[in-house]
Amino acid sequence: MAEVLLSIKGAEVRRGMGIVLSSFDLQVNSGDIVVIHGANGSGKSTVIETAARLLPMEKGQVSHHQHLTLHSDGRRKKPIKPFGLTLQSNGVIGSETIENHLRTVAALAGKEVDLAPLLESYDIQHRTQDIIAHLSGGQQRKVAVLAGLLPAMVCDEPTLVLLDEPDAGLDDAAIKTLTQHIASLASAGHGLLIASHNPSLREIGTKLHNLEAEKTGVVNAAEPWKTRGQPTQTRNILFRTGHRYASSTHAGLARNGLAALMVFGCMLALGDPSILPSGLWLTGGILAPAFASGLAGDPTSHLMQEARANDWWRSQGQRTPSALGLGVLIGGVVTAGACYVCIGEIEIMLVLIGAIMCEGTMGGVRLLHASTQRLARPNAVFIRLLLPAFILPWALIVSWAAGL
Amino acid sequence: MAGRSAEVLLGLGFAGIMTTLFLGFQWAPSVAIDAFESPAAQRIFYWHVPAAWAAFIAFAVLFTGSAMWFFKRSPLGWRLHVAGAEAGLACGLIAVWSGCVWGAAEWGTPWDWTDVRLNTFGLLTLLALFLVLGRQSQPDGVESRDTFSTFGLFGFVLVPFTYIATRIWEIRHPGPVVGAGDDGGSLSGDMAIVLFIGALSFTIFIIGHILISMRITSLEQRLEQAQHHIDGGK
Repeated sequence: MAEVLLSIKGAEVRRGMGIVLSSFDLQVNSGDIVVIHGANGSGKSTVIETAARLLPMEKGQVSHHQHLTLHSDGRRKKPIKPFGLTLQSNGVIGSETIENHLRTVAALAGKEVDLAPLLESYDIQHRTQDIIAHLSGGQQRKVAVLAGLLPAMVCDEPTLVLLDEPDAGLDDAAIKTLTQHIASLASAGHGLLIASHNPSLREIGTKLHNLEAEKTGVVNAAEPWKTRGQPTQTRNILFRTGHRYASSTHAGLARNGLAALMVFGCMLALGDPSILPSGLWLTGGILAPAFASGLAGDPTSHLMQEARANDWWRSQGQRTPSALGLGVLIGGVVTAGACYVCIGEIEIMLVLIGAIMCEGTMGGVRLLHASTQRLARPNAVFIRLLLPAFILPWALIVSWAAGL
Repeated sequence: MAGRSAEVLLGLGFAGIMTTLFLGFQWAPSVAIDAFESPAAQRIFYWHVPAAWAAFIAFAVLFTGSAMWFFKRSPLGWRLHVAGAEAGLACGLIAVWSGCVWGAAEWGTPWDWTDVRLNTFGLLTLLALFLVLGRQSQPDGVESRDTFSTFGLFGFVLVPFTYIATRIWEIRHPGPVVGAGDDGGSLSGDMAIVLFIGALSFTIFIIGHILISMRITSLEQRLEQAQHHIDGGK
């Protein structure tokens, strides 16, 4: 008997204040290719994003592998098994190489795989080590589509795949490959939910859903998918990915390091710091660059806003990659530098305080930033108005450190 | 008259606030010359404290509205949230601004980043500013209402914290001067009368402000629904 991979029951979903889905039911079983079609604005993307747990529901529930993952009462659980997702936006960070991105996606499914034949099938093997931002729009879409299919391609067990307009921007050859891959993955027992207008994708659909009624009956006779991945470690993947994002773009240095440098530079512009009276002002001057560096926030949070990468990661787990620990490094280094310039020696205790302060402030800013990510325009909201909340703790720590 | 009750309350409150200003400067007794660094500036007290009191009422409305929206999806709750944030911002800014003027005269500095009450109240006002500006920056929707309501709920934690701050850390702000029991109260009868008129006026003003703000939000929602209907939405 076919396994139920996705079940949406009685869903009512709003976009803005308008109800887009009402009393909506959908089921995807292993072996199914469910193609959702309909006019623009009819709610195709809403179905995909609801299934991926990205949208809150007014009513109803979503289950993956018969385990509740999203309920209208606010319960939101990480799916028990990995699933593939391609959003309408690519959900990839431009500074990642194709190989790094796809390896991370496979690792989230607990597998590693030889990517060469897969990349070759989409004619992007020669760009494996290129960063995604350097690819054409169509090539970037190929990477995003492959990332969506990859969990099913590497897993032995039936896997759910959600694809939102996967064919958009692809050339004819790539659409043909995509169609073959979808059909063979379904033959291997995976279940796919696809939002698309493309006739060739509708042709292979075993169920067609126009958001009002479902039509079934098409038999998929494609050869089953054969490639399988090898098990790999997924421990600390968010930590490792966050640091890779930060280091590949030097965003930590550019954002946090520069903030510290600016504050320290402004202080130096006012005069010789070595003549500052010891005590509160000197300690404050030494710790100010680390504090400013923390206030610049987690550099990965800003990178994650590119092409809805943040939403892609949110759908895969409860958290997103972050450069946890980077604040300790940057805070420690800038405080050591400030110590050396101001008092001619490096005070280990102050360096330690600067490192912890920078990490703590960065964590607080990360939390504030994350709390607004569900908004339609997260960049337009004035969340930084709340940053003065960090001044009082900073002042209390400086005053305590000055007394040491 | 019934349809204009919000305007009447707002007008009455405004008149009372102006009366308080007049009484505070012209009628209230002067404080002892050795009790304050700047005894004349102490008269700002009759505006500062009632404004802060009214801001706390507005923040309580904000909290109630946020809870009603977040847990019950109540449209009335959202209107209360919006009105509470706007009224909290108005009164919070009056309290902060008057406090800065008084602080500059009395303490020699308009702001002290180590005074807990000053900072927590300033943060509450910034939270109200964030909610007001944030709402204007986002399309109205469940996601934005949920997010801002969450901030309204968490922000209210600062209210009791601000209230007890001077009992725990008396840095710049004095401890309680009203209702502090036998040993703490320091208000004479005439001072208490002006303060009472001020508190009453600000309370009436804030109620009028909240009612008008709720009416405007309701009209905005009707306009949006009408536009959505014209666009062919469900």
